[in-house]
Amino acid sequence: MFNLTTLAQILWTSLATSSYYVMFAVAFALVLKVNGVFNFAQAGLMTIAFYTAHALVAGFAAGGATAFLIALGATMGCAWGLEGFGFATLRRNQASPMFVFIFTIVASEFIAYCAMLLFGTWPKTIFPQLFWPVRLVGDIAISAWDLPAIGATLLMLLALWLFLRFTRWGQFMLAVADNASLAELYGINRRQVYTLTMLIAAVFVTAGMFLYGTRAQVQPLSSLEMMLFATLATILGGIGRIWGAALAAVLLGVLQNSSILVIPSEWQGFLLYVVLFVTIIFFPQGIGMPGRIRRLAR
Amino acid sequence: MDYVYSIIILIGLFVILASSFNLIIGYGGLISIAHPIFYGLGAYTSALLARDLGVPVPLSILLGTLFAMLLSVAMALPALRISGDYLLIASIGFQLGMIELIKNLRFTGGASGVSGIPAFLVPTFGRGIYVALVSGVALGVVLLVRWIAHSDYGRAISAMRDDEVAFAALGRDAKWIKVSIFALGSAIAGLAGALYAHYFRFVTSEQFEILMSSTILTMVVVGGLKTPWGPVIGAILLQILPQAITFLNLPPVLLGPLQGLLFTGLVLIFMFLRPGGLVRASSTWRATGSGHGGA
Repeated sequence: MFNLTTLAQILWTSLATSSYYVMFAVAFALVLKVNGVFNFAQAGLMTIAFYTAHALVAGFAAGGATAFLIALGATMGCAWGLEGFGFATLRRNQASPMFVFIFTIVASEFIAYCAMLLFGTWPKTIFPQLFWPVRLVGDIAISAWDLPAIGATLLMLLALWLFLRFTRWGQFMLAVADNASLAELYGINRRQVYTLTMLIAAVFVTAGMFLYGTRAQVQPLSSLEMMLFATLATILGGIGRIWGAALAAVLLGVLQNSSILVIPSEWQGFLLYVVLFVTIIFFPQGIGMPGRIRRLAR
Repeated sequence: MDYVYSIIILIGLFVILASSFNLIIGYGGLISIAHPIFYGLGAYTSALLARDLGVPVPLSILLGTLFAMLLSVAMALPALRISGDYLLIASIGFQLGMIELIKNLRFTGGASGVSGIPAFLVPTFGRGIYVALVSGVALGVVLLVRWIAHSDYGRAISAMRDDEVAFAALGRDAKWIKVSIFALGSAIAGLAGALYAHYFRFVTSEQFEILMSSTILTMVVVGGLKTPWGPVIGAILLQILPQAITFLNLPPVLLGPLQGLLFTGLVLIFMFLRPGGLVRASSTWRATGSGHGGA
């Protein structure tokens, strides 16, 4: 049972399936870092991304690329609306964190009910079939879905890093995340930065949901459950650490998949929630990671 | 007539739930949405004790209430180390974890739930007496919340909610206040659950999911946080409105989502147009000092 091939297979499958969880965790962590919001409305954006792609492929026989681009447009449009009409209004009214959080949860549920009304509660996929051709590399089965998923995730993470590190707007985002009031004094438009952050998060959400929907079935309320995984990864990785959240998502994926060897599958959900509860209570600032050593340039 | 009785009993139970939730989230400022799980624990405990161990129903109701209170203290003692958004997420983790536990344990009936729960009062005295019992408990809970709000204890709760640091600086024990209000609110929810179980005689874990949290939250927000009568109005309104939709004779596949849209849509409208709810309390919008940042 515990032979090397099994372990290698689990590790590979975990790595591949964690690709979409990394996207969701990065989107959640980015909005939390820059906008300072635990954005559970991300579940609503995930629902919109998935059902738009599903409707285009199933209803209008659109190709995968077309469906992705239109779903991306729809999700970004909703993210813009969410920031412009939702968060901005709450911010203007100095709403308490509780109100903001309730808004994000209720907005997600509202979108989920709209999806239920339009598409029913039956599980759906983006493409009619979930089967992907598999080939053996050594003794490890690698599906045609795995490599593009891992590649797309790495590419998007690299793009985000380059954007944050080398572009003017990326620097603005980091400045607002660090100290929004001070950033405003330097002439940075805080509202525009918040909107941009939501739009970038929408790109990650759409990509993640497209990957997920081509491999697993989705119901209108699935996104809310998936959000808990992103939340857990963000907290484990450390609030304000986007890359920590991405790494934590991979580790959680490995942990969840490996636990099949020792824990019956029906207890996996319970395990996840216990980890979430314990982590947030005892490690609300994340698992301690060695701080970056900074040296003075001489 | 049985249908009307059932609706009145449901309204009464939701008045109890919304009022006790208001005690925690409104007066106490403790942002937890795990309230339905304590409702569920009361229902399950009382149902299983009465059905499987033959415990007399009044005693099983009392034990269900106490068990909900005990578990709430077990959750609150570690969880109240944190506040604001963090407490909310921890409460979601606790709620969903408990639901998974109930689903996977054999003696709780798993995903199929518990059926054949012994009835209370109805076989002997008819449904009217149960309506009177639930209405009486609901009124008692509302008056208790009102009394607490105006008592010294209530003033201590408000002071703790508005400025925990200053409250502690005056030598008061904020943790005791938090745990006690959480335990009291959860015990009342457990009582409502036990009363539900012995009337409807069937419980399943699906009844205590996040959507239930959203329903109770809607009642409190629409009715008015931090007011004794707001959640009552919210509960009555939001129990009657979905019943009106049922008269449209829509298929169940449309009915559920429409009711959900009504609940969530109303919360969104109220949050932006009338954040204080139907019965206004002062400073509902404002941050209360706990939690971080916000939007």
